[in-house]
Amino acid sequence: MAAEVSAGTAKGGDTPLLALRGLRKTFGGGLPGARPALDGVDLSLAPGDFAVIIGSNGAGKSTLLNSIAGTFALDAGTIALSGRDITRLAGHRRAGMITRVFQDPMIGTAAAMTIEENLALAERRGQPRRLRLALDRRRRDSYRDRLRPLALGLEDRLTTPVALLSGGQRQALSLIMAVMSRPALLLLDEHTAALDPRTAEIVMEATLRVVAEQGLTALMVTHNMRQAIETGNRLVMMDAGRIRLDIAGPEKSALTAADLVEKFRIDNDRMLLGS
Amino acid sequence: MTVIDAFLNLIPVTFAQSLMYSFVVMGIMIPFRLLSFPDLTSEGAFPLGGCVCAALILAGWNPFAATVVAFGAGVLAGMATALIHLQFRLNSLLAGILVFTALYSVNMRVMGRSNVALFSADSIFLQISPAILGSVALQIAVFAVLVVAMLLALRWFLATEAGAALRVVGINPDLAPSLGINLWVWTLVGLGLANGLSAFGGALVVQLQGFADIGMGMGLLINGLASLVIGETVVGRQTITRQLLAPVVGAAIYYQFVSLGLALGLQPSDLKLVTAVFVLLTLGLPALRRGGSSGREKLHA
Repeated sequence: MAAEVSAGTAKGGDTPLLALRGLRKTFGGGLPGARPALDGVDLSLAPGDFAVIIGSNGAGKSTLLNSIAGTFALDAGTIALSGRDITRLAGHRRAGMITRVFQDPMIGTAAAMTIEENLALAERRGQPRRLRLALDRRRRDSYRDRLRPLALGLEDRLTTPVALLSGGQRQALSLIMAVMSRPALLLLDEHTAALDPRTAEIVMEATLRVVAEQGLTALMVTHNMRQAIETGNRLVMMDAGRIRLDIAGPEKSALTAADLVEKFRIDNDRMLLGS
Repeated sequence: MTVIDAFLNLIPVTFAQSLMYSFVVMGIMIPFRLLSFPDLTSEGAFPLGGCVCAALILAGWNPFAATVVAFGAGVLAGMATALIHLQFRLNSLLAGILVFTALYSVNMRVMGRSNVALFSADSIFLQISPAILGSVALQIAVFAVLVVAMLLALRWFLATEAGAALRVVGINPDLAPSLGINLWVWTLVGLGLANGLSAFGGALVVQLQGFADIGMGMGLLINGLASLVIGETVVGRQTITRQLLAPVVGAAIYYQFVSLGLALGLQPSDLKLVTAVFVLLTLGLPALRRGGSSGREKLHA
């Protein structure tokens, strides 16, 4: 895999925010016929990049996000965040720097806990859990301020258990939780895929707003071609555990759905339907 | 009438006893409900607490220090179960069985024989006031203070950042690492705390009844589960406060039922069967009502 393909917008000399080198992962313990989920992935993100990853099912997109989050150990390769090698750092120890919004609204929040308890948990991400009350008036006020821009009314329901919220509300809350601790890198794993189109739009708008407000670096997996074309400054296409395409800047802005289909012969039904 | 009279006369004694056992029921509730970790260790942690406490008191220790060490022994037992589960990926039930089986030998070694009498020995109750041993009312007062102190401490703990971390490990173990919460640490803390409470209950029981017996934990787990189920039916588990009250209320009701059963002529040896059937019915009925697909329902619970 040629490194120059993935050089992207990382300018020469600057330390990339995220640097992936030769990531390899095969599931199934090397059984004969096991196909690698990641087959030598190189990718660099510059600070402030918003990269969108597309690719058919089984291309390795989610595996890539999981490996960056530290869900499992890699077979080979290195991951560096702001120049620091985090390849062997356990997932819970990366959480202060790298946060994630999952595809499944059920995973991203603690259902049996209230909205404010979820937010309090997220606020201490990456810091020790002290023997001090998790909630007080000042915190509740700050949570209301964070929830208000969503315009979902969650700011008036701080003591409601998350189990009573809709999938879209839970996903919006999960997003707020993910950006609360000002992460260095935000991972979005098809986070609007399980939502109806209108709710998906609300969550996506909120995503773009907080990413812009906080100047976050983000990596988003999507199956939605329109989303891939309209969002971000980088487009990365994966296939069979490798990066096949990595475009940025003006080339990315000029991209149309027809280009993608024509140039790269994407033959994935879900992606076409999504456009 | 005499049967009922016998039962009525025993109500205060039984209540005092149930307050002591509510520590054990709390020690069963915490893993099952807060950590979603079915833990059987209390079956061994309870006698461990009793045996350690008895042995230390006989060795001349201060009863308060002996009780604290008994609590600590329970903490270690709970952590052993957690480690076996986490390190060797053994099923949590099997990990608990391994630990309480091993603890039987440990308890035997600790006491040197299968039972010891503490009739003439010191106890925390004698230290507080010698009148306690002769007065059920005083016993109830002392135990009530201890139970309320435990409830307040746990309620406070669960409202802290640490307590929230512990709860999220039980509620959503997939989410916990991404919140920076170490599953190992909080499983160890939770099981340690729970079995510390069970052992503390064992230490209290031994000091009140004046003897320790190697078999004192037998069937305790099922009694505790029955108590928990009753308590949750009565006070519910919608909030943390209710979830914490359930073991105490449940133990109070359960031990009165046991006393009533014995007064009505039930053989003590039949009690375990009755309790087991009761637990099966209360835990199993909701599954039957849902239409028998409980295995799949659980995935969404």
